[in-house]
Amino acid sequence: MTGSLSARLLIAVSVVLALFFGATVVVLDLAFRHSAERAVEDRLDVQIFLLLAEAEPTGADTVLVPEDLPEPRFASPGSGLYGQINDASGELVWRSDSAVGVSLPMPASASVGEHIFFRSTLANDERVFVHTLMVEWEFDDGTSARYQFGVAESFEPYLAQVRRFRRQLFGWFAGLAVALVITLGFLLRWVLTPLRRIEQEIESVEAGTQAELSTQYPRELRGVTRNTNRLIHAERSRLERYRNTLGNLAHALKTPLAVIRSTLEQRDGVDTEVETQLRRIDDIMSYQLNRAAASGGITLGHKPVALTEVLPPLVRTLDKVYADKRPVCTLRIEDDADFYGDEGDFIEVAGNLLDNAYKYCDHQVIVSATAVIAADSPRPGLRLVVEDDGPGIPPELVATVMQRGVRGDERAEGQGIGLAVVREIVELAGGHVVIDRSPQGGARVSVTWGQGSAS
Amino acid sequence: MRLLLVEDDQALRDSLAQSMKDAGFVVDAVGDGEEGLYYGKEYPVDVAIIDLGLPGMSGMDLISNLRASELGFPILILTARDRWQDKVRGLEVGADDYVVKPFHTEEVLARINALLRRRGGWAESVFTAGPVTLDTRAQQVSVDGRAVDLTSYEYRVLEHLMINAGKVVSKTELTESIYEQDFERDSNVIEVFVGRLRRKLDPDNQIRPIETLRGRGYRFAIE
Repeated sequence: MTGSLSARLLIAVSVVLALFFGATVVVLDLAFRHSAERAVEDRLDVQIFLLLAEAEPTGADTVLVPEDLPEPRFASPGSGLYGQINDASGELVWRSDSAVGVSLPMPASASVGEHIFFRSTLANDERVFVHTLMVEWEFDDGTSARYQFGVAESFEPYLAQVRRFRRQLFGWFAGLAVALVITLGFLLRWVLTPLRRIEQEIESVEAGTQAELSTQYPRELRGVTRNTNRLIHAERSRLERYRNTLGNLAHALKTPLAVIRSTLEQRDGVDTEVETQLRRIDDIMSYQLNRAAASGGITLGHKPVALTEVLPPLVRTLDKVYADKRPVCTLRIEDDADFYGDEGDFIEVAGNLLDNAYKYCDHQVIVSATAVIAADSPRPGLRLVVEDDGPGIPPELVATVMQRGVRGDERAEGQGIGLAVVREIVELAGGHVVIDRSPQGGARVSVTWGQGSAS
Repeated sequence: MRLLLVEDDQALRDSLAQSMKDAGFVVDAVGDGEEGLYYGKEYPVDVAIIDLGLPGMSGMDLISNLRASELGFPILILTARDRWQDKVRGLEVGADDYVVKPFHTEEVLARINALLRRRGGWAESVFTAGPVTLDTRAQQVSVDGRAVDLTSYEYRVLEHLMINAGKVVSKTELTESIYEQDFERDSNVIEVFVGRLRRKLDPDNQIRPIETLRGRGYRFAIE
């Protein structure tokens, strides 16, 4: 699963919040409706007892109820509060003025003293709560009669109450949820700040503006940063050790070769076949050792190589080596042209290219370095162009001089392994090499690093 | 010409030293950096060949030590490490040229001669001063196009004087540049060589190529 950590956390928290709040709202709503219903029941209970207090039974099927009941709603039609009294056989004995035209459903099977509370729908489609009570009335003459008192109240007040409650409930919970999500958002930002910093620091390390990750991190992340730093250091010292070993190997192998050659030279002059084989061994070793010493473009934590610091010593070196020829070497280094990679790689590439240019030029060598936009990397790329005014490389030989792997016996005399090594190092680091003709007349070799996978 | 060779591999050292002797150099061949530094400081070395991969004091350290001791003779690096970083480092600490192993002896010789030549301010391997011409490659001398037959000692004296043309060269320096051993130096020998050189180069006493500066030495005087 990809995506950002904070998005994942926010989504998870929102889902949990929604479920939790949803359940809470449902439970609270149920509880409220239940207690509101109980309140209605209690209220109707009170009304029944009020009716009981006012009513005066006058016979087995007549009850006298005064006109001016304490509850005015009984008097006005359609008020939503209805009263009714039936006799034991279920015949209507009395009905309040408000209940004109409506008949309350009364369960006749009720026993004396039994309260019954239920919902019902009246003939005019009005939904009501109904409360009934069966009473037995003893007259002075010792006879008794049973009456069923019924009171009904419209759903309307109850529903309004529930609606009001729900409105308030949803309002509060929505507000609370928004506040919680916002607070969590801030909390997440704060909690994830170290992770964001690691991300930025790794980018800086990759770009070479920082040598390693800093150590000011929460305990949980210290393991990660420590191990990352260890990896960066190990990578750097590994390359250094590896190159040293290769250097020692070169020394150990080439000194005996030098002995063989000088001994042969002294003894009986140079045998051309032996000489060819010697050169072949030498070329293969140089090529393979140089190729093995290439960093392969892994350069965590390296500072960008400032060309203004590495190119002038190289030019001074070649000026010394080619002191008799002394070509004019012009360096054109753009201000922002830096090499984001291994210094050894760069010097190897530039050294080989400049050496060729010095060797084959007439009297002029031009080196230019420009920054190029990198495709998918935080670091800019670099284009290094080395050209001279010599005879140039014939197009049909371009492929041969860049050939990977070296067969000393197949290569034309005088062609060093330089360009093959250059190509190897550059392509290992994801760059590419182009050879063409310079406007000066000679060869022009352009090396481009960091333009994605173009090759 | 006195040449200091610092190379730890004995076979290579012996063979290269022999080749250099054959080419007319007085050779001090040593096997490590400390000894190389000692010879560089104690003897009037004209040119040095130093292997970079020395045990103990590295070739790189030896070169910087020599340069720090204000010894300015040309230095040719021998290296098996043909990475440019190593070459640049070597030349930046004070070496003048490099040869990568395995080398051709001729190439080493050519580079050494080129270094010596440039040091004397000569642009070519053939030194020409007035009627006198000295070819360092062929080791031949001619005056007005007429070949002059010199012994190898006489040649060495003339070459040393011409490389240091215009400068005063003491008898001791001349002795050390033509003899390897530290034997009893008889300055008369140098006087004899110089006398013979004068007669061979200038039989009619017209061009006077070598000046004597009493008590100080000799100077090659033709511009």
